[in-house]
Amino acid sequence: MSQSSAALTFELVGRCSTTRARASILTLPHGQVNLPIFMPVATQASLKGLTPEQLEGTGCRLCLNNTYHLGLKPGQEVLDAVGGAHKFQGWKHNLLTDSGGFQMVSLLKLANVTEEGVRFLSPHDGSPMLLTPEHSMSLQNSIGSDIMMQLDDVLVTTHPDKARMREAMERSVRWLDRCITAHKYPERQNLFCIIQGGLDLEMRRDCCKEMVARDTPGIAIGGLSGGEAKDDFCKVVQTCTEMLPDLKPRYVMGIGYPEDLVVSVALGADMFDCVWPTRTARFGNAITKNGVLNMKREMYAADYGPMEDGCGCQCCRPVEEEGSLGITRAFIHHNAAKETVAAHLLTLHNVWYQLNLMREAREAIIADEFPAFVKKFFAGLYPEQENYPSWAVDALRGVGIDLLET
Amino acid sequence: MTVDIQDPEQEIMRFEVLKAAVNDGATAAAAAAAAAAARLGRLAFPGRAPINTPNFLGVTSRGTLPHVTPDNVSQHLNIGGVYMSLEDFIEKPQQNIKRIPPIYAQPVSPKLPTPLYSFTGMPSSVPIILSARRLPAVPSPLGNTNKSVSIFTNTGFQTLTTDDYRAAVSTLKPDIAIPLADLTSNTSGPPTSKRALRMAERTDEWIVDWFSSSSPPPSTATFAPVLPIPYPIQWEYLARLAEDYVPTNQLSGLAFHDNPDLLPDIAEHCPSLLPLPRLSLIPSISTTPHQVLRQVALGIDLFTLPFINTVSDAGIALNFAFPAPSPPPSGLQPLGTDLSLPSFATSLTPLATSLRNCQCYACKSHHAAYVHHLLAAREMLGWTLLQIHNHAVMTSFFAGIRFVLETGGEELFEKERNRFLATYEPDFPAGMGERPRQRGYQYKSVGGGEPKKNKPAWGKLGPDTPPAGEGQTGEEGPETPVVPEGQTDTVEELEKKGFAEEVAS
Repeated sequence: MSQSSAALTFELVGRCSTTRARASILTLPHGQVNLPIFMPVATQASLKGLTPEQLEGTGCRLCLNNTYHLGLKPGQEVLDAVGGAHKFQGWKHNLLTDSGGFQMVSLLKLANVTEEGVRFLSPHDGSPMLLTPEHSMSLQNSIGSDIMMQLDDVLVTTHPDKARMREAMERSVRWLDRCITAHKYPERQNLFCIIQGGLDLEMRRDCCKEMVARDTPGIAIGGLSGGEAKDDFCKVVQTCTEMLPDLKPRYVMGIGYPEDLVVSVALGADMFDCVWPTRTARFGNAITKNGVLNMKREMYAADYGPMEDGCGCQCCRPVEEEGSLGITRAFIHHNAAKETVAAHLLTLHNVWYQLNLMREAREAIIADEFPAFVKKFFAGLYPEQENYPSWAVDALRGVGIDLLET
Repeated sequence: MTVDIQDPEQEIMRFEVLKAAVNDGATAAAAAAAAAAARLGRLAFPGRAPINTPNFLGVTSRGTLPHVTPDNVSQHLNIGGVYMSLEDFIEKPQQNIKRIPPIYAQPVSPKLPTPLYSFTGMPSSVPIILSARRLPAVPSPLGNTNKSVSIFTNTGFQTLTTDDYRAAVSTLKPDIAIPLADLTSNTSGPPTSKRALRMAERTDEWIVDWFSSSSPPPSTATFAPVLPIPYPIQWEYLARLAEDYVPTNQLSGLAFHDNPDLLPDIAEHCPSLLPLPRLSLIPSISTTPHQVLRQVALGIDLFTLPFINTVSDAGIALNFAFPAPSPPPSGLQPLGTDLSLPSFATSLTPLATSLRNCQCYACKSHHAAYVHHLLAAREMLGWTLLQIHNHAVMTSFFAGIRFVLETGGEELFEKERNRFLATYEPDFPAGMGERPRQRGYQYKSVGGGEPKKNKPAWGKLGPDTPPAGEGQTGEEGPETPVVPEGQTDTVEELEKKGFAEEVAS
């Protein structure tokens, strides 16, 4: 089963017979990617110290750039002169860009949203400026990303004012229309809509209806990962995925903790991004199947094992294997927060972990063994079942997996 | 890289002089002149890639080439070897003051066959030279004793005894070890003659201890230090090296402390030291290629060049070749290009603007514009790409030196050396880029109150602006926040960049 639009083909290749999880192949202008997928974030056109070649070596074929940051540095003029962000950063595979609106609203406190666009004060001298859906499209057209995101009116999901929340949701729909009109290259860049509506499930449903009607090549669920309760997060994801068409990719924005990824896949989502795995690497943390380990702790000073036993990344795989670097916890400990190389190695490992987690989930879905995969995943993280997070137990029970059953 | 496959049991190291100045043997003076001249050689260790000399070694920090992961070392660098210092591995952390340095218990594997390789992941094709101190070393106020030197670790000053150093070398099994020398940390000038005499006496005693004990291990070659003091003060020490340790094959090479001018004296008085390979431990981060060429002309075979790391950190791409381009460009050429300059914002040239054929990974895969952006955004990849490029430029520089020596001998080398001098500026450009690694234990405050070396990266927009982040909420602090304080863009510039538009207020 597959469906194509001008610059994208979505092929569904497997479904979990218990949960809502799906496995699919997404074909984009710069090649094919397998879903579910985690997309690492190369905020400023560089994945935190890795060369594009090293990033490719982790298996990554789709990563993010941030429109806000590229708009400031190097700027649209440079991107146009160089011929887009792929060429600029030497990346042969796919790129996804956000709209730039999220940073503006959540980080620049003085920003103010009007029907025209986002008004904000220049970071330089405080003079008032305006970012419109048209500007965002123009910048993303210059970047040349394979997937572009609409400019939306983002509120924190916990915003108390319901009227303002509905206004934001409805405005996001109107802004999608302006984005579609302003988008110059629909034949080579895909514009995804973003479902808004906070934690109000009714509002999310209304938004889904409106957005789906506009038939963008892919659909994102936005506004989450803003500090809401995990139970609420799961309800929103499930409510949206139930309403979305089968043959379009579903992207939950800003999600990156391994538990969140696995539960979201079970709820029917396909794509995720987050800065956490690469950021936490720079703080000396290795993500493993048994949880996050801080390599700076003294206990790892003389630990000559790999960051994660059984991990297949270039750093961790057994030293005698081709291409293995034979990196030990002791060496990471030795240089964490002292030499950038330790951060690069941790980044390599963490990105590989996240990509591999989704790869294994995909294989499990295709083999129709996804519930067993989910149980094994949680058992690895929590030796005692009583410590399982209740939100995950509840959310998974809702799609037919009983984590606590033995 | 190919590796030498001689039987490891057979020989520690093999050094052949392939081509040297002609020595007619008539007089000691003629021998001295011939000794203090450029030569071509080949240095080989079992299991490692052979080093064609003259050549250089990368200088590591804490066991790693700064910014370059081991996979990038093996895929994108072609360096003769690396220099490591013991003081980078033996700190005593406060939480565990009695800890035995973890590297001493590091298990090994056939692929990473000594603790230095298996602890650091350095590819085993790259020969490792171990010494006690970093290059450049932080001067210690404590001074040395009859049985120890003062070193500076990550957790502070520490004493390293001659016994401990020998034990460390036995355990770590580097390809080359440099025994302890009683060096002065006085930077204000040459040591007094009394101090110089003590330096020679102690170093002499220590070398006797070194060779009389069971260390160094059979797989490690010893390069004895040549002290940075006049020949007449250390002649007894050098004579002992020549008479006692060359005939027994215990001494494999000499490690000059940036003082190749001693070579004529050595040739005259200790000719049996001449066939040994000569390493120059250049401690200065401001040594230039001109000075390297001069040392090659004096007969140095191998160099440690800490300036490479320094220019990369400064945002400079090396931009010179030996032999210099012909016909010569008009005017003195800079030795490097400061890629942080705004003119590179849209430059689609390779990193080194005048080296059209640079074959390094960075030049083949990326443009100056990207590195300019990475420096402006302070993304770590910028320094990685510069390190790859700058090491590659030095690899080509030494390949050029060997080519000139091979095809035209000393005469052509002198001619090309003068042409190089006439083509390039005497010093590296300062580099306006913001430096990484500018703070840290490898620098010692000299009395406090020094200004900040980098300007603050990001500030708050308003007094009540919350800490910024990339969009991930959580307990972690700002990493790539949104208000670049150093940013000089005006609203007009931002508009020109297409980044929103100004509105009437």
